[in-house]
Amino acid sequence: MIAVAIDEAVDTIRNYVNDDTDGIDYPVLIDADHVLTELYAISNVPTVLLIDEDDNIVQPNWNAYASNTFTDFHGIDSERQLDAIRRWVRTGETMMSADEARGAVDDLTPDEETAKLHFRLATHLRNADDHDGAERNFAIACELAPHDWTIRRASMPLRGGNPFGEEFFELVAEHRAAGRPYHGVNHPGVDES
Amino acid sequence: MEAGQAVVIESPPLVTPEQVEEYLGWTLKPEGLCRDERCVLVPDRDALHTDDGVDLRVVTDLLDRPIVVDREAGLVAIGAERSQRLGAVRDAKAPDFSLPDLNGDWHSFADHRSKKKLLVAFSSW
Repeated sequence: MIAVAIDEAVDTIRNYVNDDTDGIDYPVLIDADHVLTELYAISNVPTVLLIDEDDNIVQPNWNAYASNTFTDFHGIDSERQLDAIRRWVRTGETMMSADEARGAVDDLTPDEETAKLHFRLATHLRNADDHDGAERNFAIACELAPHDWTIRRASMPLRGGNPFGEEFFELVAEHRAAGRPYHGVNHPGVDES
Repeated sequence: MEAGQAVVIESPPLVTPEQVEEYLGWTLKPEGLCRDERCVLVPDRDALHTDDGVDLRVVTDLLDRPIVVDREAGLVAIGAERSQRLGAVRDAKAPDFSLPDLNGDWHSFADHRSKKKLLVAFSSW
């Protein structure tokens, strides 16, 4: 297990780790520059991948949850997903064939790719207290990749907004109206048959 | 950091050959742009290396890496080689990356080779 926070809020993530009563014995990494989202074409969190011993991605970008805290919101039962992960760990059974796994995730569009670079410039400028420069780049990034939550939502707290406030619900409505685009696969974790 | 991983550089887009090596790990040689055993041919050396310096936009084009220049801020952002992401989405091969943990110690994905891995991207936002 490798957990990667697509986040610059190191102290908040540290509190998550310290508050975990079960203890965490796996690496928790900080990806303030969104290196992972560019490399794996990730557009929202949580995104989970299962990767085998030979570094084959057997379950590409998957919207999976560790608990049912937000099930009322997204309608996904995390128990079925956790069962699917346990099955793969124990037996190697996968949810997709190798053929299905290849090409299951759409590549970033050129605009989405460029947006990730502008986001990166924005966070660097924000850290250097160049707020105008940061805002300029955040605005371009959000315009280029309107459905990328790792840009739209992640930038909210960095631009003085609230990622759980009104603008979040506006983003949800906008995303829903666009047919919920996601760079990855949505499935419940069990074969329907 | 992983060679070829995304970077943000405080620099104009025109740099010295030494800076290309420092920022990107590629060396300008007579046979092309080289890193370790790999060399990329430079079809138009004059466009790459002008009197004013080496153009990072031409370098990144040859290396198939995206680039954004913010002249006002004096910053250049360079993304990873596109072939790495294409390897993930098209060939289902997990690209390597290195990131720091909460203590600032760097971890490499490649350290977990020969194990089954659950890679989870999460956030506080």
